[in-house]
Amino acid sequence: MDRGIVLVGLNHRTAPVGLRECVAFPNGRLESALVRLVELPGVAEGAILSTCNRVEVVACGSDPEAIGGRLPGFLAREHGLAAEVVAPHLYTHRDREAVRHLFRVAASLDSMVVGEPQILGQLKEQYALAAAAGAAGRVLHRCFHRAFSVAKRVRTETAVAARAVSVGSAAVELARQIFDRLGDKTALLIGAGTIGELTARQLLAQGVGTLFVVNRTFERAIDLARELGGLPVPFERLGRSLPLADLVIGAASGEGPLLSAAAVGEAMRERRRRPMFLIDLAVPRAFEPRINGLDGVYLYDIDDLEAVVADNRGARAAEAAKAEAIVDAAVDTFWRWFAGLDVVPTIVALRERAEDIRQREIARHLRALGPLDARQREALEHLTSAIVNKLLHAPVSTLRRHQGDAGEGCYIEAARRLFRIGDDADDAGED
Amino acid sequence: MERLFLDGAAFLYLAATIAAWTGVAARVDAPPRLVSRFLALGAAAHLLSIGLRSAALGDIAVASFADALSFLGFLLVVVFLVVAWRRAVAALGAVVSPLALGLTVAAVVGEGRAALRPLPPVLDSAWFPVHVTLAFLGDALFALASSASLLYLLQERRLKMRRRAGPLRHLPSLETLDRLNHACVLWGLVLLTLGIATGIGWAHEAWGRAAWASDPKLVFSLVVWAIYVVLLQGRMVAGWRGRRAATLTIAGFAVLLVSLVGVNVLAIGLHGKAF
Repeated sequence: MDRGIVLVGLNHRTAPVGLRECVAFPNGRLESALVRLVELPGVAEGAILSTCNRVEVVACGSDPEAIGGRLPGFLAREHGLAAEVVAPHLYTHRDREAVRHLFRVAASLDSMVVGEPQILGQLKEQYALAAAAGAAGRVLHRCFHRAFSVAKRVRTETAVAARAVSVGSAAVELARQIFDRLGDKTALLIGAGTIGELTARQLLAQGVGTLFVVNRTFERAIDLARELGGLPVPFERLGRSLPLADLVIGAASGEGPLLSAAAVGEAMRERRRRPMFLIDLAVPRAFEPRINGLDGVYLYDIDDLEAVVADNRGARAAEAAKAEAIVDAAVDTFWRWFAGLDVVPTIVALRERAEDIRQREIARHLRALGPLDARQREALEHLTSAIVNKLLHAPVSTLRRHQGDAGEGCYIEAARRLFRIGDDADDAGED
Repeated sequence: MERLFLDGAAFLYLAATIAAWTGVAARVDAPPRLVSRFLALGAAAHLLSIGLRSAALGDIAVASFADALSFLGFLLVVVFLVVAWRRAVAALGAVVSPLALGLTVAAVVGEGRAALRPLPPVLDSAWFPVHVTLAFLGDALFALASSASLLYLLQERRLKMRRRAGPLRHLPSLETLDRLNHACVLWGLVLLTLGIATGIGWAHEAWGRAAWASDPKLVFSLVVWAIYVVLLQGRMVAGWRGRRAATLTIAGFAVLLVSLVGVNVLAIGLHGKAF
């Protein structure tokens, strides 16, 4: 088959962020780049996907080998880079693999954070640009629409996206299993370290209503509180603010635990036993482990959260297998359609070739036959057409019969070789 | 005909139970929507069955033990569907479905013993449908509160053990379950109070004071009532919630079940003798 799909690109795994920045297509430049893409020799259709984690160029046309060879140069030229700079970071996928890659990207299986939903929206936008610029044609239209429906199925039928895979998101997931809603909840962050800050940010992003920040150095508490939109609390007043907190994040350690079971028990009495979720991110631990024994108090330390994450990763691997199966099936379906395009042109070419030979032979032999009357001329046409049609009947019906099955490619290939279709040197030695 | 609908309801509750538990076993993240659909269809068939039977009887059909169980099962499903429609507590289906199935199957099996029997003339008054509807709706709410409490205890244990894997991943949050418990107990108690009051009024009119004061059903109901009053009081005054509330809710429902089954099977007291 000499028509094909090629995808050339780089992503967060193959290229450092510095290079990804250099080859990204800002929105305004994407349209003109698409026009130049389809002007490349042999490229019939094209699309470009450009996000902060990947830049990929998809092209479709005859002679995919040649196209594949031109795309790296195109990518480099577009950004005024030397081809050698970009080339080592590029991957090239052809045909089925190119389609599979595109489907996996759409379904967020190839993302840095697997399952993150933004990629689908970006893909849709950039496909729309390619469609508007007239760069995407029949093949890519179908390919992208398939990719979108694969993404939808993966999202609804598997839990690839649903699991928390960082300590912060694990804390959020647990908070959601304890609390009905987070908007009326108060979080208390003890310590101004990075991991505590990240976790607090994630809780705030999930809608936690109020945040208190406690730190030994009050100035740092003020700074961090300002940055996060919380309220700074002096370290000495930790005990006083504890009963107000539904979620407590411990991210500072010192000599001995910051919170004792007695202190938390006292706070629980004061808050009338409303549940309390304590997240101990510090090593050594900031909260006394005995606290978990108190009724209505749930204490998770960093190891517990890591276990949640590991558990989710495991579960996600199983879900990912389901997702890959959905992708595989969709690639098969798409490829059958794409390859099916090839049976018809092969048959057409076969017929054209036979007709061409017939006409030429008639013209050659008419001279030898001398003048013929209309009836004789008609009989000659009938005779030659009948021979050609009878000869072609078997190969054509065989091609049709195998359209879409596993042997399709072989038959198309065989027909093209046997009848020398699409071979420019075909007439050599014919006459 | 009403029997056919009752069988149909039982089958649909069975289907809901299977759907809910295969969901649990397959560790899917959300309980299948199928569960609520099966339950809704089952409740529709159940309503037809109760309606036809009541029409044949000329009064609401709850007088026999089998009918009482059937009615309770029906109300439980209806109350669950109403709650699940408004709140994310679909996982409760895994508890409610088998409970409704059990009650309905008991009704199907028990029905052979209790053919249609009209009410004794002494009881034939307007009190009857009011009393039984209030009392059974209260019971259904307590059943739902207990289902929520059961899930609460499971979820609480899981969170305490920090054992996160497993099929119970997507239970409703502790707070959701606790609130549901509170709401169900509160409304259940209101209805039970009205049920007891109408029952006393009705019995007083029919038999006089001496008869109802020593009725075991009334005694049991007052025990249940007292348990739930204590629970609500504790919640309001002392901030009882969570595990303690859940345990007490289940204890109250256990007494309720004992009274429902015991009084009817042993046929003691006014509730036992009359029917």
